[in-house]
Amino acid sequence: MAILKGLNLRKTYSKGHRNSVEALKGVEITIDKGEMVAIMGPSGSGKSTLMHILGLLHAPDANHGPVPELYFGGQNVASLSDDARTKIRARRMGFVFQDYNLVPTLTAAENVMLACEYAGTTGGKAKAAAIEALGLVGLVDRAGHKPVELSGGEQQRVAIARALVNKPEIVLADEPTGNLDSERSAEVLALLRQFNREHGQTIVLVTHDSEVGEACDRVIKMRDGRIRDDGGRAGLPAMAAPAVAMPAPAVAMPA
Amino acid sequence: MRLARDLGRRKLRSTLTITGIAIGIMALVVFGSMANKMNALIGGGSKYYADKDIVSIGNMYSGNFQPLSLSDVAKIEAVDGVAAASPSIEMMLDDKEATSMGMPEMIGGFVPGGDKGLESFRLDVSTGRKLTADDHGNVAVLGCDLARSKNASVGGKITLRGVDFTVVGILAPTLTAPDKEAMMPLDAAQQLFMKTLPPIIQANLKASDIATSIVVYPKEGVSPETLKTRLEAALGSSYTVMDGKDFDAMLGSISIIFSLVLTGVAMLSLLVGGLSTINTMAMAVAERTREIGIKRAIGASRWRIRREVVAESAAIGFIAGAIGLLIGAAMTVFFNDLGRASGNVLFELTLGTSVTALVFATGLGAVAGFVPAWHASRLDPVTALRYE
Repeated sequence: MAILKGLNLRKTYSKGHRNSVEALKGVEITIDKGEMVAIMGPSGSGKSTLMHILGLLHAPDANHGPVPELYFGGQNVASLSDDARTKIRARRMGFVFQDYNLVPTLTAAENVMLACEYAGTTGGKAKAAAIEALGLVGLVDRAGHKPVELSGGEQQRVAIARALVNKPEIVLADEPTGNLDSERSAEVLALLRQFNREHGQTIVLVTHDSEVGEACDRVIKMRDGRIRDDGGRAGLPAMAAPAVAMPAPAVAMPA
Repeated sequence: MRLARDLGRRKLRSTLTITGIAIGIMALVVFGSMANKMNALIGGGSKYYADKDIVSIGNMYSGNFQPLSLSDVAKIEAVDGVAAASPSIEMMLDDKEATSMGMPEMIGGFVPGGDKGLESFRLDVSTGRKLTADDHGNVAVLGCDLARSKNASVGGKITLRGVDFTVVGILAPTLTAPDKEAMMPLDAAQQLFMKTLPPIIQANLKASDIATSIVVYPKEGVSPETLKTRLEAALGSSYTVMDGKDFDAMLGSISIIFSLVLTGVAMLSLLVGGLSTINTMAMAVAERTREIGIKRAIGASRWRIRREVVAESAAIGFIAGAIGLLIGAAMTVFFNDLGRASGNVLFELTLGTSVTALVFATGLGAVAGFVPAWHASRLDPVTALRYE
């Protein structure tokens, strides 16, 4: 079952007068529930832009060409207001970034609690949820430490705990292993894989690293703002045979 | 507390900003207390003059002043609606002390009981006794500030305009004019006043017949304004009759100008403090661009980002306000103690002034946070995340 489905996704960034970059030139994409998908491609291929649109951080362009559509859990979210998109990000999505992006003045637990608060959980409940999430990534004993007191791998695990704490429908990770050595990369990747397998957590990650790609159920390859290969899922451009009609890839669920 | 940690991130800058506002609030507290004192002084006078008329010839400040004769008392008592007319002598204690902050030290001579019990402005003694109708000659009751500055006590001697007086009582504080006044029987004051007049005028007067003003108490049901009109008609244009409204008109405008100048000075320093807070918060927002990006990305609404910035800014204002209030309060206490020795108590810090200063500082901080907060909330999360 598709949890995220996009059609006619385009994005042009203007970088000043008469200088614009067409980052996404009409993309169709489907992510199924329970999948762990990698989006790969060279720099400038549009993979980050696609990630930002899937994560509702940016809205797809709608001012010319075919109307873009973006369905998340069955609802068209392509043209929602900033506030509505923010609410969905807070409650139903989890984010992991390359640079960990923890708030430097807050402890590990407080960083995780921040995501709870934005989703509407506060006080003791938020604290309990944060500790539980830190337990899942094996960092309960580091809960009171600030980011500077944690290693890169630990910071990224805190970020994963933050992404998971609200039990989101989808986790979006932008180069989650980009700043880590191979050992820490493997740890983080194993952790994501584990959540996918054990909890059926849907995960989409953008990566340069082919090893990361190989660890995923499916790899979507991008180049020049288009999807070149969607790893066997339906994506035939423009023709729009309903994705749900296609056979879902066999995802090995048993642990 | 997260907010305190954010403030502590740039200790020097936060400290400087807080200092800036604190100085402004301190100025507001000190000047505000000064205006309070001034207003209490004027308020006391306003209350005193509200229910009576004062008759004089010319007035002391305009130069065409002449003493009244006690025969004027009978003329006044004959006017319909007059309940009592009491002659008095009001004069400076010291001619040299013409320009001082607040009220000058005064000598007041009056006839005890001359008001026939109609005086509503109550004066109580803290030690000793009040003057009675049996008192004549060189005895005095001193206002509390005057007693302190002259180091006088009940039973002791005090020299007033070169003449020795026995102190029989010291008044309880009134926060207004009587605090700096020496009260004495009319005959003693008449003698002192006579000596201040030029010899050529002295030659034509008898000390026991003069007064500088006559305090007129209206009968019940007669307003001071009505009585003023009747007195003016009966006495003729060479006499000046003042009622409470005239007093308010004379001193009310002084009070307003005084308050405006003081408030203006304080506001100016607060404007500087406010701008410095805007600067601090704008810098803080710029430094935390990336962090704001993170928060927006993981689901913080624009409203929440704005709230965080404004709360931090308001906290700066509140802390600065509390510090400014403390220092300002300490200063008023210190200078009052210092001034008490010379009878110059210039400040009165009220609860209202304190609360106003604190609320104002917090409000100023919050308002200063609006522009940086709006800017922060408009940041694009993706761009902000990439910000180095």
